[in-house]
Amino acid sequence: MNPTPDSPPQWKAPTVRENPGFEILYWVGCAGAYDRRAQRVTRAMVKLLNTAGVNFAVLAGEEKCTGESARRLGDEFLFQELAQANIETLARHKVRKIVAHCPHCVNAFLKDYPQFGGAYEVLHHTQLLAGLVEQGRLKVPAEGSRQEPLPITYHDPCYLARVNGIHQAPRDLLALAAPGALREMGRCRDKTSCCGAGGGRMWMEETPAQRVSTQRAGEALATGAKTVAVGCPFCLTMMTDGVAASGAEVQVKDVAELLAESLGL
Amino acid sequence: MTPTRETFGNISDGSRWVFYGLAVAATALFAWGLHRRVALWRQGRPIGLRALLSGSWRERISRWRPGARRIAIEGLGQERVRGRGLASGAHGLLFSGFMVLLLGTTLLEVDHLAGMVSSNLHFHQGLYYRVYETTLDLFGVLFLAGCLLFLFRRVRRPPSVGHRASDWGVLAAFLAIGVTGFLVEGLRIGWQRPEGVGATCSPVGLWISTTFLHGWGEGELRRGHVVLWWVHSLLVLGFIAAIPHTRLLHFIAGPLNLALAPATLGVLPPVRMEEVEATGRVGVGDVRHFTQQQLLSLDACVECGRCEEACPAFATAKPLSPKKVVQDLRGVMESLATPVPEGEAGVHGAVVGAETLWACTACSACTRVCPVRVDPVGLILELRRHLVAEGTLSGTAAVALRRMQSSSNPWGLPPGERGAWIEGLSKPPAPSA
Repeated sequence: MNPTPDSPPQWKAPTVRENPGFEILYWVGCAGAYDRRAQRVTRAMVKLLNTAGVNFAVLAGEEKCTGESARRLGDEFLFQELAQANIETLARHKVRKIVAHCPHCVNAFLKDYPQFGGAYEVLHHTQLLAGLVEQGRLKVPAEGSRQEPLPITYHDPCYLARVNGIHQAPRDLLALAAPGALREMGRCRDKTSCCGAGGGRMWMEETPAQRVSTQRAGEALATGAKTVAVGCPFCLTMMTDGVAASGAEVQVKDVAELLAESLGL
Repeated sequence: MTPTRETFGNISDGSRWVFYGLAVAATALFAWGLHRRVALWRQGRPIGLRALLSGSWRERISRWRPGARRIAIEGLGQERVRGRGLASGAHGLLFSGFMVLLLGTTLLEVDHLAGMVSSNLHFHQGLYYRVYETTLDLFGVLFLAGCLLFLFRRVRRPPSVGHRASDWGVLAAFLAIGVTGFLVEGLRIGWQRPEGVGATCSPVGLWISTTFLHGWGEGELRRGHVVLWWVHSLLVLGFIAAIPHTRLLHFIAGPLNLALAPATLGVLPPVRMEEVEATGRVGVGDVRHFTQQQLLSLDACVECGRCEEACPAFATAKPLSPKKVVQDLRGVMESLATPVPEGEAGVHGAVVGAETLWACTACSACTRVCPVRVDPVGLILELRRHLVAEGTLSGTAAVALRRMQSSSNPWGLPPGERGAWIEGLSKPPAPSA
């Protein structure tokens, strides 16, 4: 399935019905499915999964929001309704292993759903990708063939790094995608600081002077980075807004997008 | 001669009896104060403490182990106190000094009681005595150093740290206890005149004796010793009685909360339908709807302000400080000292405003950074549950919830379009949005 000069690549994202023998479910999540910007992260993921030959499937319409935002907003019953529906759907398709590129979905599967009988092996996409690189299923071209990468900083999502302790896998991937380019912010890993979107704040208005995203983006820009890498679609939105508010010429990208780029996908 | 000193040396029998009487009174005041706090905590929802005590010993030990581990590592080992520069250093010095002095005083009393049974049981002598005296002098100095660092810090009034008038009293009492302790030692060395290692094993007392008490007669030294001994004793007994009534309560509530607090970030307790049907409520509207452990955690807080410093909402001038939420809830809990009808120990509105609750991003930075495992996110989420159940959520967040309900996604886009991104795969890449 690797791209060749002659034929354009045919990226496949089979549904659970098309590929019932899938090994891992790619949980795209609401942002990855509906948000124009986050859809590009989904596409980068599909390219990477195809390239590595991962036997995966997507639900493509059968799933609902995990309800994570609803639960953190305090609407427990809406959350439970959504969770029950998803747990039934996942059981129907015999899902055991899930990968998601949204830490809020990851936390819902890791910490919320087991309370209601939904227990799965759950990976954040950076963990799965780091594993694929380690297994040699994703090969990044040798360093010498590429130009010196511009400085990058990585913003740890709260629900990934602090709440679930996942902070090394994204850094391992960035070390491949942009060797030696990482400039850490003072508050990183489990001491990371919020982008402003958690706890349902993604869906609330904020006066410009009080935007958490502007403050965190300022911290990211202070590292001198030309790219702000993130590992969460909410952080992607917030950091993009924050960078734009300061008028800096800096791109904000998901780690998977940067990895796909370095692979020429 | 074997180096030693007589416990209650130079103190008359009458004074000893008065001392023990006052010690009983101080302990009673301590117990009464603590009982009052426990009575407040117990008004919360039960947390199944009885279950901790049921079953075989093996089962009990396996249930106690995680809590005991946290007390050992995070309490005695101070793991979660570290990482805040001067404040952590000051607390480490004061804490280690305090614990060693407490252990030392306890051993002294054990020796004294053992000696009453038989003089052969005395162990406060010889090599043990030398090690004991030197160790206690050293940790006494560390204790005083910690107090001075805290005093220095409090004078500078860092904005995130809570300030109560009683804090000055506590620090002054600590300093006075440390200083009078050493003065008593110096005066005792003065009249006892120990020789050789019996004197040098108490370096601070020896220094005080040779530097400041030079030329004092034995009578003066003995009288001074009795006076300072009483000052020291009264300060210590007063301090014991004050523990449950000041910030020192964290000696008890801190380790207890470390042991009992649910230890995992990102986990919320589920609301069970049966419970809602039985109680007719969701979340917390009255402070007693918190669990007993959550109420206990309010007393574990010493207002160190780490949560406030880590809070992104506070940093962007929103009306939320996790520390203030904890303290304001604590205020309501204290009102329960006199009976309050069910539902009237309200925590919303004037106590914790809706705009405060909605400012939280649930990022959990406050919960992670708390040295005694207070969980402001967990408290805020229970309060949010109440607001949502009351139907008071409005604005864009309410819209997002309605969309999640009707379209199963927060954008409110048609569920049928959830798979639309797949088509974009084979098409040429869309222009940047």
